[in-house]
Amino acid sequence: MSGAEAVAAPAEARPRRESPWRAAGGPLLRVLLPMGSILGLWYLAILTSGLPAFVIPRPERVLETLVEDRAFMAFHLLSTLKVALLGLIAANVAGVGLAVLFDSLPFTRSLLMPAAITLRNVPYVALVSVLMLAIGDTTGSKVAVVALAGFFPVLVNTMQGLRAADEVLLDRMRILNAGWWETFRSVRLPFAVPPIVAAQQIAGTSSIIVAISAEWMISSEGLGYVINRAMQTYRGDQVYAVALIATGLSLVVYALVQRLGHWFDWRR
Amino acid sequence: MAAPVSIRGVSRRFGESLALMPTSLEIAAGEFVALIGPSGCGKTTLLRIVADLQSPSAGEVRIGDDTAGQARRKRLLGLVSQRPAVLPWKTAAADVAFTQRVAGRVGYPAAGLLREFGLGGHEGKRPAELSGGMLQRVNIASAIAHDPAVLLMDEPFSALDEMKREEMGIWFDRELARRPKTVLFVTHHIDEAVLLADRLVVFSPAPGRVLDVIRVPVPRPRDPGFRRDPRFLETAAHVRRLLFGAEAVA
Repeated sequence: MSGAEAVAAPAEARPRRESPWRAAGGPLLRVLLPMGSILGLWYLAILTSGLPAFVIPRPERVLETLVEDRAFMAFHLLSTLKVALLGLIAANVAGVGLAVLFDSLPFTRSLLMPAAITLRNVPYVALVSVLMLAIGDTTGSKVAVVALAGFFPVLVNTMQGLRAADEVLLDRMRILNAGWWETFRSVRLPFAVPPIVAAQQIAGTSSIIVAISAEWMISSEGLGYVINRAMQTYRGDQVYAVALIATGLSLVVYALVQRLGHWFDWRR
Repeated sequence: MAAPVSIRGVSRRFGESLALMPTSLEIAAGEFVALIGPSGCGKTTLLRIVADLQSPSAGEVRIGDDTAGQARRKRLLGLVSQRPAVLPWKTAAADVAFTQRVAGRVGYPAAGLLREFGLGGHEGKRPAELSGGMLQRVNIASAIAHDPAVLLMDEPFSALDEMKREEMGIWFDRELARRPKTVLFVTHHIDEAVLLADRLVVFSPAPGRVLDVIRVPVPRPRDPGFRRDPRFLETAAHVRRLLFGAEAVA
């Protein structure tokens, strides 16, 4: 492995150098290296821990499960995706909406910010329990948990972004007697977009994990439910399969947000 | 389009401290007046009061028959600051057009304006792709695109290097001959003020008080050689004496 690292290091140090080997090998190594290390540790754990196969199954068994149970997994994956996506949208509507409200009517900030911080710091487990009692096992209750977990980084980043608009540009808008909406959409919002997109890196990836956690507690659908069921039936392979899917999904969301960020970023 | 500006007993305090002593000044339509003085003398404060970006503690400003607020709401004012107030994501042409859209008035068509500002061929470039001097010209083009009657300039050339600064001054002097405006120009650069202005208002250190109003005895636009003219040198020396005392010039 040290040999592989020695090859990877110069590629990192001189990223601008045009070399076909590096161009093809760099990204490949970046994927292979962590995957190889994880697999190595996995096998090491199997060999040394002495734990039974339903607690720590072999990687190839997990892959088999992924293939064999693909329809089952896909159904629950879609259910989780729906909860995560709706929750993320709700988190953004709430986060951006509150930030705009706080920014345009400063007194609302001192009024509502303590509530936002409190909500942010309530353990999700307690929230899920209360929502379960209040509205039962519905998509709405899970979406609400995801939204509550995700709105705060969006709120904080949007507030920061709205204040980031250059003062000379705001003077320019004032001298032209531009209205609130004109100034907001032409100057302040564009300055807020990069931090709003950056917030998605937190809110987006956590939406998957929080959706799974909520499903684990209350649902009869989704990847969280699959984990719960697998635990009860000693299907460690399914638990690991879900973990793989969730990790992959988080990486995809992260990559998508990065692309989105590049697309929307006027500084590029 | 140009309008007279009347500053009547305008003063400004910030909390306990007085930033600007009561100041009165009559500026004719099309006149170029430089406000010069040490840092913190209240010249920028006075400019911002005329711009209706700050309110005076006492006194009032009239632009033509309007108050500063009415003039701003009628979009009769243009503002040029030291840092270019251009939108980083807009091209030069789009930035100029943006002023016109917000002001609801096309004073000077964008393409012609940029061409005359020496920016032909650069209309499609964004701020990051332009040099400092070009960027400041885009900034000025955007500030006057809606044909304001009064142009308020706060050290517009001070971020440029010495050579560029002089070049810009000479260019701007010519430009104003084509598009007359009443100009209020804040600077702490004596030569620049004498080169460009019809009159110089010299301020004392804080709290700002008008020490003297000096007329430059040569009409605008001026020849670049004016800097070596005895009248230029004498006026600049007079301003130096006012600002730094007699020994500084001797």
